Amino acid sequence: MFLTKERIGGLLLLAFCLFYSWKIYDIRMLPFQANQAFTPRSIPQVLAVLGVCLSFLIVIFPSNKERLNLSELNWPLGLAFLALMSVYGLTVRPLGFLFSTSVFLMAGFAFLGERNVVKLALVAIPLVVAFWALMNFGLSVYVAPLPWFLRG
Amino acid sequence: MFEGILIGLATAFTLQNIAFVIMGCLVGTFIGMLPGLGPMSAIALMIPIAASLEPSAGIILMAAVYYGAIFGGSTSSILINAPGVASTVATSFDGYPMAKSGKAGKALAIAAYSSFSGGVIAALLLLIAAPYLASVSLSFHSTDYFALMVLGLSAVAAFAGKGEVLKALLMTVVGLMLSTVGTDQTVGVPRFTLGMIDLVDGISFLLLVMATFALSEALMAIIKKVDESKREEERKAAAKLGSMKVSKEEVREMAPVIGRSSVLGFLIGVLPGAGATIASFLAYGTEQRIAGAEKGKLFGKGSVRGLSAPETANNAAATGSFVPLLTLGIPGSGTTAIMLGALIGYGIQPGPRLYIDQPDVFWSVIVSMWLGNIILLVLNLPLIPYIARVLAIPARFLLPLILFFSLIGVYFVSFNTFDIQLMVLFGLCATLLRLLSFSLAPMILGFILGGMMEENLRRALLINNDSWSFLWERNLTLTILLIAAACLFVPMLSPLFGRLRNKTKNAAEAD
Repeated sequence: MFLTKERIGGLLLLAFCLFYSWKIYDIRMLPFQANQAFTPRSIPQVLAVLGVCLSFLIVIFPSNKERLNLSELNWPLGLAFLALMSVYGLTVRPLGFLFSTSVFLMAGFAFLGERNVVKLALVAIPLVVAFWALMNFGLSVYVAPLPWFLRG
Repeated sequence: MFEGILIGLATAFTLQNIAFVIMGCLVGTFIGMLPGLGPMSAIALMIPIAASLEPSAGIILMAAVYYGAIFGGSTSSILINAPGVASTVATSFDGYPMAKSGKAGKALAIAAYSSFSGGVIAALLLLIAAPYLASVSLSFHSTDYFALMVLGLSAVAAFAGKGEVLKALLMTVVGLMLSTVGTDQTVGVPRFTLGMIDLVDGISFLLLVMATFALSEALMAIIKKVDESKREEERKAAAKLGSMKVSKEEVREMAPVIGRSSVLGFLIGVLPGAGATIASFLAYGTEQRIAGAEKGKLFGKGSVRGLSAPETANNAAATGSFVPLLTLGIPGSGTTAIMLGALIGYGIQPGPRLYIDQPDVFWSVIVSMWLGNIILLVLNLPLIPYIARVLAIPARFLLPLILFFSLIGVYFVSFNTFDIQLMVLFGLCATLLRLLSFSLAPMILGFILGGMMEENLRRALLINNDSWSFLWERNLTLTILLIAAACLFVPMLSPLFGRLRNKTKNAAEAD
């Protein structure tokens, strides 16, 4: 029963705090700051100590013994959505807002079980066009609608 | 004060701002009604739109979204027993049984009248308390502000649930750590940028909020496997509401409950870190005790008092949480922490000077609370049968849309695709932490207060010639720090004392 939910969280955050502590030494100190009471490293140092101590305490004294049940969760779907969002981030500029967003939404609907291609297109495309028009003409937020090869 | 109210009325009662209040209430109700999405996500989704407006209009819009989302959360609690947020959990105790017995319309009406009354009474209390507190806090120095920020952060521990203190504190520290990423404000040295130019300006507050709330809530819904048969039930429940009339007898029963719960909710809301959840549970418990044996038995089975008390208290607490935000610049809850971030984004520093420097923002927020509550009652209640249809939108369409609005909300502010990748990373981490039962609200509080805390500490040290003596030489600073220490250590040590007491008791019994 070592790996309870709290312990896993505590260990992950401990790793984060240790990484943070290590990176404190990358903060450059200017020569005149050597003897100052407060430097750009001061607060990070205090936080690193606090973070490491608190995460240690959570790992050593967890308040409940609940375990993470991975079988109840649809991990592949979650990861697929994370990948989809990342790809959207990479394509929104070169492929233009209208195309990349429509594909993103249609893929998202399809991942969650919608199989009717006509429905996918009928929900996604009008919504994306209307949203782009609202942002562009209504709120004056301009975003390139078309792919790079169709731009003038 | 009278002059201030006039300024507030003049600002809030423009055609544009009334339109924003109406829009905010409707959008907030719509988002708040979606199971899993609460006021924090609703406000986060609104920030990109609010950022394009002038400050008072933006804040009015966000405040309206806040109330709308709380009201929407109550609706899903009552209709489908799926509270969007923790503060409406107590509403479902009696609201859902009432809805199941065919009185869903009545339950919604009671919730709406209670929310309205709680909001209006609390706004009146805010009107009295805020200017007074603001004038008192004008004498505060940077040392006092530093101490207040420490108090705000340590209050997280005082109001964390049983066994949650360490986790809440660790998450606050993580938030503080994230706030140190970027260029140091005083000497201009980059910190924790990992050599990336995109991190030189630090992590965007909007990005962090969107990723930790809207994005991760949608991701949680995706990985938790949607049960479409349950949603079919929800559709049916949303379609049949029944009568919305409340009898005179029920009004008589509600009136004293509303009075008590409004004051209680407001006072709890004022305390930094306490918020609407504690207020709603406390009001529910108090009313159950006051109700007596006979009426007390009805609690949990569709009691009018049991529904009215938490609904009044959570709205009153929502209003109360604006007191520390507007007067001290310290957020009283996760939601007001997001609002604080938005205000800073406008270049407005909330605190005692806000009352003097930007009275239009200060008073229009207060006046818009009344306006928002009236709109909720007059417009949203009759529209509930139609708004409730949002529960019928299939999750397979809804969830990708929430993800899209979260991503694009951040992208449309910075136009930097690196932000989308960073959001994906934060969204993954936030989802993991949620699954591991780590609350993310303390992290946001730490992130918002971190920069200000460091700045005030530096200023205090500069004024005191690099001496730390200000911590104990100035009475006000020392008092606030002692309260902060009590907030921090009492909840941490109370389980130890409890165990010690039990041991002594057991030893005495054994003897």
